[in-house]
Order: sequence, then C-alpha cells, then structure tokens
Amino acid sequence: MSPLTCSKLTLFTVAGVILQTIGLSLFVYGFFPVKPALSGVSGPESFFAPTCNSVRNQSQSDLPPDQLKALYEELSGIPPFDRLVLMVIDGLPAEFVLGKDHQPPPKGLMEAMPYTQSLLANGMAIGYHAKAAPPTVTMPRLKAIVSGAIGGFLDVAFNFNTQALLDDNLLGQFLRTGWKMVMLGDETWLKMFPGLFMRHDGVSSFFVKDTVQVDQNVSRHLVDELSRDDWDLLILHYLGLDHVGHLGGRDSGLMAPKLLEMDEVVKMIHTSIVANQENDQGQTLLVVVSDHGMTDNGNHGGSSYKETDSLALFIGLRNDISDHASDTLDTVYQVDIAPTLALLFGVPIPNNNVGVLILGSFDSFTDDQQLKALELNSWQLLRLLTAQIPGLSCANSPCDGFIDDHGSGKRKCDGSMENVICCLYINATVLHSSWKSMGVSRSNSREDYSSIVAAYYEFLETASEWLSRKVTDKPVDLLAFGVAAMLLSCMVLLSLIFHICKEVYVNEKQHLDLINGMHAWNLDETFILGAISIIIVSMGSSSMVEEEQYIWHFVTSTFDLVLLRKAMKSLLPAEKSFRPYKGPKEIGFQMCSIFVLIVSGRTLRAWHQGGVNWTYLPDISKWLEQGSSNQIKFIQLVSGFLVISLCLFALSLLRSSKKLVLGVGFSFLALGLLVLQHIAIHRENTFVFSSPRATFSVQIIFAILGIATIGTFLAFPWLMPISIREMYATHSDTMSTSVPMEIQNKYSLAELKDSMYVIGWAYMFCWCLLQLLLQQPVNSVPLLLLLVQISAIIVYCSYGGPHQKQWVEIAALYYLGMAGHFALGNSNALATIDVAGAFIGMSSYSTLFSGILMFIITYASPFLFLLSMVVYISVKDTSYIEKPNADSGHHLKIILASPCLVTLGVNSILLTAYTIVLLLMRNHLFVWSVFSPKYLYVCATTVCIYIGLSVVAVTVIYSYLVLSLRKGMQGSSIIDRR
Amino acid sequence: MKTNIATSSVKSSAEPETKLHVSAHSISVLEALVFHLIFGLVLGLAVLLAHKFYSINLVSHPSLTLRLIWFFLRVFQVIECPIVILLYSRYRKNREECSYLKAVGRGLLGLPVGRALNRGQTHGSNAENYVIQTVACLPFCYGMRGSKNTHVSKSFLEKLQRALVNALGAVALGAPVGTQYFSKTVNWSLMMSLFTIVPAAAVFGSSWKDWLRIFAHTKPMESVDFMICLPAHGAIIGAWFGAWPMPLDWERPWQEWPTCVSYGAMAGYLLALVASFSFVQAHARFQHVKRD
Repeated sequence: MSPLTCSKLTLFTVAGVILQTIGLSLFVYGFFPVKPALSGVSGPESFFAPTCNSVRNQSQSDLPPDQLKALYEELSGIPPFDRLVLMVIDGLPAEFVLGKDHQPPPKGLMEAMPYTQSLLANGMAIGYHAKAAPPTVTMPRLKAIVSGAIGGFLDVAFNFNTQALLDDNLLGQFLRTGWKMVMLGDETWLKMFPGLFMRHDGVSSFFVKDTVQVDQNVSRHLVDELSRDDWDLLILHYLGLDHVGHLGGRDSGLMAPKLLEMDEVVKMIHTSIVANQENDQGQTLLVVVSDHGMTDNGNHGGSSYKETDSLALFIGLRNDISDHASDTLDTVYQVDIAPTLALLFGVPIPNNNVGVLILGSFDSFTDDQQLKALELNSWQLLRLLTAQIPGLSCANSPCDGFIDDHGSGKRKCDGSMENVICCLYINATVLHSSWKSMGVSRSNSREDYSSIVAAYYEFLETASEWLSRKVTDKPVDLLAFGVAAMLLSCMVLLSLIFHICKEVYVNEKQHLDLINGMHAWNLDETFILGAISIIIVSMGSSSMVEEEQYIWHFVTSTFDLVLLRKAMKSLLPAEKSFRPYKGPKEIGFQMCSIFVLIVSGRTLRAWHQGGVNWTYLPDISKWLEQGSSNQIKFIQLVSGFLVISLCLFALSLLRSSKKLVLGVGFSFLALGLLVLQHIAIHRENTFVFSSPRATFSVQIIFAILGIATIGTFLAFPWLMPISIREMYATHSDTMSTSVPMEIQNKYSLAELKDSMYVIGWAYMFCWCLLQLLLQQPVNSVPLLLLLVQISAIIVYCSYGGPHQKQWVEIAALYYLGMAGHFALGNSNALATIDVAGAFIGMSSYSTLFSGILMFIITYASPFLFLLSMVVYISVKDTSYIEKPNADSGHHLKIILASPCLVTLGVNSILLTAYTIVLLLMRNHLFVWSVFSPKYLYVCATTVCIYIGLSVVAVTVIYSYLVLSLRKGMQGSSIIDRR
Repeated sequence: MKTNIATSSVKSSAEPETKLHVSAHSISVLEALVFHLIFGLVLGLAVLLAHKFYSINLVSHPSLTLRLIWFFLRVFQVIECPIVILLYSRYRKNREECSYLKAVGRGLLGLPVGRALNRGQTHGSNAENYVIQTVACLPFCYGMRGSKNTHVSKSFLEKLQRALVNALGAVALGAPVGTQYFSKTVNWSLMMSLFTIVPAAAVFGSSWKDWLRIFAHTKPMESVDFMICLPAHGAIIGAWFGAWPMPLDWERPWQEWPTCVSYGAMAGYLLALVASFSFVQAHARFQHVKRD
C-alpha cells in the first residue's frame, strides 16, 4: 500500500466531511420538514376572497368581542350555534362506537353505549371515523383538533420549553369573540392554553393505573356546570378509557363499564342540552371526539389503523331527519374538526388549518349557507397554499376579475400540482358564481348545487391532502440520499483511519523492531471498539437515550479500569514479550493519573443525575443549590482559582523558553483574576444580570478573552525562541550544507510541540474562563474536574509510549468529552438547555448571538476536549513514527492525521448509526419526544466537532508554517554569514 | 501459636517444592468436576435456601435485598464449610507431603499468615500448594462462622478490605453512594470478593506476581489457575453486563442497584464455572498428551 501524501489525505478528509454535511442536511430536511406556517391569526378578512392587495384592516380585528362577534355573524351569513360542549374521550377508537367496514360494533360494545347508539340510530348524532395523523399521542392530537394544523417536529423543538399553543386556534378565536370557557379533565389543556379558562379542574395523566378517580374528578363538576349558563365552551377530557387501554388492552374487562360511564355522561349532557333548547336558552352543540385510538394492547403513538382511528361525533345538530345514516360511516380527518367547528360557530377558520369542513354537519343549513361555508374554507386553504407555494397564480385571479370562461363549464385539470390546485379552485368558484348569478331560479336545480359541492370538495380535498402530506410525509429519496451519503463518508473516513494506522504500524516496525507484543490482543483497543457498538445498540432504546449520561459514564469509567489493568500489566512484563519499556516512575505516573481520572469521573457523574426520568434523584448540584448563594459563590471562586493554578502549573512544566512562558503565565493570571473579580462583584443574584454595568463588564471580558486567545495563537509561534543556532552549527560542521531544510524540520518539530503546548493551554484556559462566566454557578466545579481529567489523561498519554495506540487515546478523549457533556447537566431533552445563560452580557436581544452563547454553554465539555487535542498533540511522542528524511507534508500528517481522523471517524459512526436508528424508529411512540431531540443534539455535536477540529488543524498548520518559515530565514542568514 | 504455625509451614512447604514438578501434580479432571459442581451447586442452593426458608429473593423484596445478601453469605458459609473440608480430606488421602492439621490451621489463621507464608515461596509456584491453599483457606473464607477464635475479628477486617476493592470498583462505575445504599454495596462487594479475590488470595496469598499474571495478563497456566481466573472474570464481566438494564424505564424492582448486578455476577460466575471446567479438562488432556 503506497502511503498517502498529506495533500491527498486532506483532500479525502475534506471530501468526506463535505459529503457528510450534505448527507446530514438532506436527511434533516427530509425528516423534519419545516412548513412555512402563516403567522398571526385569522380575522375578519377571512370572510373575503383572498386578494392581491391584502391590506389587513387592523381596526376591525381590534374590535371589542361583542362587535367582533356580530361582525363575524354578519359576514359569514351562517347562523351560529351558541354554546359548545367538547367532550374528549382519550384513546377511544371510533370502532367502538361506529363499527368498522359498514358493520356495527360488536354487541357488547353496542350495549355498553345504549344512549349514544340510540342517538346515532335516530339521526340525532352523526359520527365519523376521524383519521388522526401520527404521532398519536395526546398533545399533538389536541393541537390538531383545535387548530386544524399538523405540527412538524421543529415547530415543537423551536418553542424550547413552552408547551403553549401559539398558533391560531379555535379557542383563541372563541376568546376573541368574548367566550367564557371551562375545562375539566386532562391538564394538558392547561399547559396548552395557560390562563385561558375561566374555571378549570385539571387531572394528571401520570397515574396510569388509576381508571376511576381520574374520571370522577371530571364528572363531579358536571351537574353544576351544566346548570350554569355563564360559559360558552365546556371542555371535558376523560382520561380513564386510555388508562384502561394501557392496563388491559382493547378487550379489557374494564372497557365496557368505562364506555357505559361515558355513555352516561353523554346522556346527561344531551338531556341538559335538550332541556335548555326547550327553554330557549340557545343552541348547544355536543361534540364527542377522541384524540387517538389504541392498538390491541392498548398502546398508541404509531400510525397503524387502530391507533389513528379516532372518533368525531356531533350531537345536537339541527338535522332531525335521519336520512344520513350512511354518513356515519364516512371517514374524515381529525383536522377536519377545526374548520367544521369554526364555521358552525361563525368564527374565522384558524389560518394554518389544513382540514376540510364536514358537510354532513351542515345539513340543516340552506344550500346557500352550505356553499358559503365551502367557499370560506376554500379561501382559507388558498391563503395557506399561497404561503406555501409562492407563485400560485390563481391567487390573483379573483381580484383580476378572472371569470372569462364561465360558460365553458368544467375544465379538465392536469399538469403540475400548482396548476391542478389552481384549476380546481377556479372551476369551483366559476360554478359558484354562476349559481349566485342565477338568482331565484336556482332553488330547484339540485344538480347544479351538487356539482358545485363536488367541485369545491375536489379542490378542498386535493389542497388538504397536498398540505398535510407536505407536513407528515417524508420524501423517501431525500432520506435515502442523505443516509447513503453519510454511510459513504463514514466509510471514507474509516478507510482513511485504517490506512493511517497501517502506515503508522509499518513505521513503528521500522523503528522499534524489538517490539513483538505490539499486535497482540489488547483489551483497551477492543474495549474502545466494543464501546462504540454498545453505544450504538443502546441508542435504539428510548430509555437509554433518555439516560445517556449513564452509558457514557459507565463506558468511560470501565475504560479507566481497563487502562488501570493495562498499567498493572506493565509491572510484570510477560515472557517472550517486549522489554519493559517503562520504568516504575512512568508506571507510577500513569497509575496516579488513572486514579485521578476515575475519582474525578465519579464526582462528575454524581454532580448531575441528569437524564429525563431520574431528575428527582439527589445529586450534588441540587444539594448545593439548596445552600445559600454565598456558599455557591465561594465554591465558584475557589474552583476558578484552582483552574487558574492548574493552568499556570501546567505552563510551568514546559522546560524551554522560560521567559516567554512567564509572560504568557502572567497574562493568564491577570485574565483569570479579572474573571474572578467579575464573578465576585456581579454574581450577587445567581441569575439576574440586569445591571448595565455587569453587562458591560461581561462584554469587556468577552472581548479580552477573544483577543487573548487569538493573540496567543497568532503571536506565539513568532515569539517562540528558536534554539537552532548551535544545533545547526554543530550539525553543519559534519554535514554538507546542501541539506539544511531537513535539519530545520527535524528541530522545528520539537519547537512546534512546545508552542502547541502553550497555545493549547491558552485555548483551554480561555475556554474555561468563558464557561465560568456563562455556566450556572454550580457547574464551576465540574468544569474544574473536566480540566483535571484532561490533565490526567494527557499525563497518561505522555507516558504512553508506542504500545499505546494513538487512536485509542483520541477516542478516549472523545468519550470523556461526551461523558463531561452529560456531567454538566445536559441531557437529550431540549429542556435542559440553559436558556438563561444565553443572555449573559447581552444588552439587546439578538437571536444569533444568544444562539451562539447557548451552543457554547451546551457544548462546553466536548469542545474543551477538542481543544485539549492541541496539547495532546504536543505531548504525544511521535518520534518513533517519524521518518528520518521527510518533508513538511509528512510531519503534518503524523501530527494531525490521527487526531482529526479518529475524532471525525468516531463521530461519523455515531451520527450515521443514529440516523439509521431514527429512521427505524420513525413510528415509535417517542419519536418526537425522545429520538428527535436526541438527533438535534447529535447534529449539534457534529457541528461542534467540525469547529473544534478546524481550530486544531488551523492552529497546528499555522504554527508549523510560521516556525519553518522562521527556521528558513535563520538558516539562510547563518549560511549568509558563513 | 501464629508464629509457630507460620514457621513450621514455611519449613514444610519449602521442602516438597524442590521435588515436585509443576505440571505433574495438577488437579485431576474428576477432582475439578467435583470442585466445579460444588461451587455451582452451593451457589444455587444458597439462593434456593434463601428463597425457601427465609422466603426472600432479590426481586420481590427490594427493601430486603440487604438482608438477603447477608443471609446469602451466611448460607454460603454454613454449607460450604463442611463440604469443602470433606472434600479436602478426601483429597488429602492422596497427598502425604502436607499435613491436614497444618492446612486447617492455616485456614483458620486466615490470610494474614498465609500471606506471610507465601512471601517466602513466591518463586516456586507449585500446584500442590495452590490446591492445598485453596482448599485449606476456603473453610476460612467461606466458613468463618465456624471459627470462634480470636482471629475472627481480624479476618473479618481482612474480608472487608477485600470487599473494599470491589466496592470501590462498583462506586467508580457508578454505584450509588449514600447511607441507604451503604449496606447494599458492602454486602454486594462481600459477595463479589467471594467470587473473585478470596479464591485468588487463598491460593496466591501475597504472591504479587501471580496476582498480576492472573488478573492483569489473564494468563492462567495451571488447572487451578483456570479455576481461579475464569470464574473471577466471569463474575466481573457478568456483573458489568448485569448493570445494563438499570437505566431502562421498565420500573421493575430488580432494576435497583445491587439486584440485577448480583444476578449478572452470579450468572457470569456459573457460566465461567462451566467454561473453567472444560478448560481444566482440555488442559489435563493436553498435559496428558504432552507427557506421553
């Protein structure tokens, strides 16, 4: 195998990285489609056709509720209902009430709901199978019911911690028309609509084993509420049936009694509605819906028929003629409930709705009113379509008076999706306008009417399907391309690593032929590889993802123990093996550093229990937070001081160029004291950074830290004293003057390492100071411990010698970085992102800047370990793989190739594996709550790795170039002098 | 008395060493089978007894786990002591070099003495001595209940010291620290030390070289080495894998700290016993072929 040249290697690596980036973006784009949602809420303008000059009349939407309600009523022309009772039965499959495939439900279920079945039989109620979109879990489904929109994952993710529904929705519309609302049942509603309800009694769905009390807590208020007339909307959310399902599945013995209980509730409400109607207290509509169905085992979350088969039952519509018995078997979509209710109650349809009104519930209205409703729905969908397809031409047609071919009847629609949608819309509007113009004579033309309805429906259904598909469907080709690209790049990187390892091995063999036991079975190497596969396997389990800190700590501490075993091993060199390479002093240092690693790792683990399910467990950070803020501040100051001392101590270990190092050390000290002083003065209140002085001071520190880092990086290689003269002189006596470059390179590597050492510590120091400033005060000790861990592993590596494979150490650095990530209190839930810290030092809100700060805070530990790679490079003894006569490309390769490639390789394995896991888990119950947030973290880790490695690479290359340039200049000046 | 026995055994054990060949006195296959069966059966029996007579087990009574493990150890001691002594005396019939009394005395004295003895004989690692010490010290290790002399408290301390290594390992790997976990961790590590360190200590004493050979290099050479090395590693690896179900959200009582790790350790130990037996068998056959 011919050795790869440096430039080729770089080329391949960069190609691999680019391929990975492309694959990742394709996958993310395909898996998390971002729907361009309309902002704001629908107002009175939704009762007019969409126009080009869509100047919104603000004054109208600012009307007081009563006037707004009157305005809506006047504009819509549909007599609205007065009150609504929305009864949500969690997890009730529509099959239980409506049967399946035109068959009534089984006898047992029929008997369990006698009243509801009698209502259905009499035509007093119309029921539908309302197909729910996955994920079939409560909150997204409730959002779909009230807003008519299917949310994407990123919509949820970007609302960080709030669960409140911010989109336009029915409840908001009702509130604007002055409705009073009451909610009894699942407290999810309270989370979604905080402060909206006049009265509420939330029950928790946490105690799944409770199937009785949870519903009694809802029903206990029912008699009282039904007798009152101060509410307009009553929401009842019964959780019991879902709990029954979770406990015993569909055929549970508790199911029939529970259905009977629900039937009693329906009966009670309906009786009260009828009574009210007789007393002329207004029209009340009872809508019974379920948020999702359940599988045979009672689970839900996926997209099987049994899970998506939810119920929509309208009771109390004004159609007493039972000629719609066949309608009850129709299948609609869950999102259709929102526009139907909006139109029935005369409020604008929420602007992101993708549903189509259920015409069966408008039977008691006149043809005119029904067509009006269809028209309103079409306008709303058209507005949404215009937002999604920028150049939708037919949006302009109404205002252009584009009705030239209304005599020609229905056009055939084909071509691109835009054209089809456009053409269908025009067909419908043309027919409708001709119907309007026909005037009185139309009343008997039933056929015309039904053709208009059909035309509208064709448009609405096409548009709705297109819109909802855009949200839920995953473009298979994009995903496949993305995964393929990631796999390919993973392969490229791995083969490069393999190549490098092989090359190193060949070089080693040339240099150290005494080593025979090198390619023996090594536990640490096996373990590192095994750990990757363990981590990959564990990522398939949702609870392992939730408690990932456990895995990383377990893996890293086991690795520490493996290293300990290895160090012990060198106490007794095996027979027939290589000579004891290390003296007892080296082994002692190694063992000590391993013990430091173990102890600090365990302390880090105990600092934050982290995770999602174990957050209640006691840990050190909680214990500290209970104490006074002064104690925490004291701890923070002490650990800051220790960070400074550790860095200064590390610097003092450098033997050469004492003066320069002293200068750097002093600036370290000054910087550190500045930060400590800031903490001492301004961190009076742990989280309040309101005072402008503090903000200003933080900004100054940011600037100084930045200048110090970049200054060290730029200036140090230039200032670094080069002690080549004598060496050069002695060598040039013996050697011919024709090979000065080689000698220069040979010695520049030693100096490069010194300069790397200082620059690396400067990076880590500045990063730690920045984190001390930004992180929560309790995290200052973990920061210190991370730095201690880095020092320990670097000490370990520097004594590692040749029988410690470089890739093992680099992979270990990566693992430690990830373990530290979780030790700083991060988890795979978006909720643990420290949003408060992201506003430190900001005088005005800026999304970009606070986003960067958030990234810095979250990825403190992985980035710190990446920066430590600079120091690692400087201490790692690579002399045994250096070729005697090599050019600069070879030098850079042996220094840089392994650190960059191994890190990239490990990360790409994890990234690719997790991508595939996510793809496999796309129908999992927790795909949106567990797996997708984790994927965002994985993507961010990848970005972090890219940034960190480019910092490392740029630092090394720059220093190398500067040093060899200076060498060249000095060498030539010496030659000149001679 | 302590010094008496110590010196006498140094003398007596130094003598046969020179004569004996390492491989010639390896444990026979039949003996290995008996040993393995006893180790396996006793473990199973102990759990069974705990279940039957004390009607507790690791799953159903998480709050009683602590007590269970304690009982578990007690049962271990009660049963293992007579059996091993019996086995030992059966084994003794074939060997004239070492006296029964001396070995029992060493066993009762405990390891501090054993170590002192072994320090003198680290170089001649002798199969004879392995076997004798394993057997002799097992009564001490497992059967300290029976010994009512003054060394009990000292040997208990010794035991705790050994348990400490396991306990520290467990804590380093993430075992919870806290007063409510303290006794669980201690009991678990006592059990683990019975699986791992105690047999090795009985055989190797303070022969640091042998310890390193077995636990750092994993290079067992004798049948007895296999019998020490494999079950110990099996127990450790089993315990390591036993920790994996802990973060799963199944909310089962056995996912608590020492329970599933103990199960893993026991399962690993039993599996490794099977493996070690087959290794011993293969080793014996190999030796046999070699001798031919």
